[in-house]
Amino acid sequence: MHIMEGFLPLPWAAFWWAVALPCLGFGIYQLKRILSADREALPLLGVTGGFIFILSSLKLPSVTGSCSHPTGTGLSAICFGPFITSVICAIVLLFQSLFLAHGGLSTLGANIISMGVAGPVAGWVVYRILRDTRVHVYLTVFCVCAIADLVTYVVTSFELALAYPAAVGGVASSFVSFLGIFAITQVPLAIVEGIVLALVFKYIVTLKPEILIRLRVFPEEKIRAAAGDAP
Amino acid sequence: MKKGYLLEILAIAAIIGFCAIFLYSSSLAGEAEFAGSDTVGSERVSELSGIPLEEFHPIIPQWEPPSGEVESGLFALQAAVGGIIVGWVFGYWKGQAKVKNHEG
Repeated sequence: MHIMEGFLPLPWAAFWWAVALPCLGFGIYQLKRILSADREALPLLGVTGGFIFILSSLKLPSVTGSCSHPTGTGLSAICFGPFITSVICAIVLLFQSLFLAHGGLSTLGANIISMGVAGPVAGWVVYRILRDTRVHVYLTVFCVCAIADLVTYVVTSFELALAYPAAVGGVASSFVSFLGIFAITQVPLAIVEGIVLALVFKYIVTLKPEILIRLRVFPEEKIRAAAGDAP
Repeated sequence: MKKGYLLEILAIAAIIGFCAIFLYSSSLAGEAEFAGSDTVGSERVSELSGIPLEEFHPIIPQWEPPSGEVESGLFALQAAVGGIIVGWVFGYWKGQAKVKNHEG
């Protein structure tokens, strides 16, 4: 999902930076508030952030003959909301653009929007819808993580399409064209990522259900049910 | 207790299934080079804009890993940092739970 350095014209790069900065600012504010209210949230932040580090470093070959990264952002979006997730993503993406030439400093804003804002926000919306329904917590986590991963790539395609509308068909036609590269590669990865993160969530529920209840990640009965008779 | 490991079994099945599909599709498409989708995306940008790939210059100068080995090493470093944090926290929680069980 990284847009490479130099591949966004300057006005678009600046525009996405301008959108990304307030999100980061709000995320840092929320982060300070949560951590000063409850120090026990820090380990949970470590686990969710740690998985973003691990998963986004894996370049997995997919069925279409190209490689792509999972994002791992869904778990953090569930536990802490989308904007704290943006802050973690910004750290990862900064590391990758400085040392790995994956993405660049001028395109960092656009990359933060796709991986750190759009994906987590979409996942978080799914989470809010499913949270208080009868849908099982692990199934919820799976859906959120898979959606967050997919939407990241859809938005990357959209960002590129806006900057490079096709001569025939304009933005829509080049959106479809980029979608063909990014999103289709991503579907199998998103499914695997969803299952793996649901499994991680199961271990969090088993080891430390109190923190999930205290942060009101899910209603208490649902966490207890999941911890008691894990499927 | 077999029911307790449904998610683990699903995860392993998904990963194995994913690998199987990958091996099968890569044996069909012999020439596919499994380039990063970022690279393929950049090529599409150059097709759509009609600007050759070499004409794209970084707006902000950028350090590039001198070789694929260095790059994969740095990626492994990133994963290791994540893995250390995750392992540390799960150990910390496990310890907390043990202490609590002993007291209570």
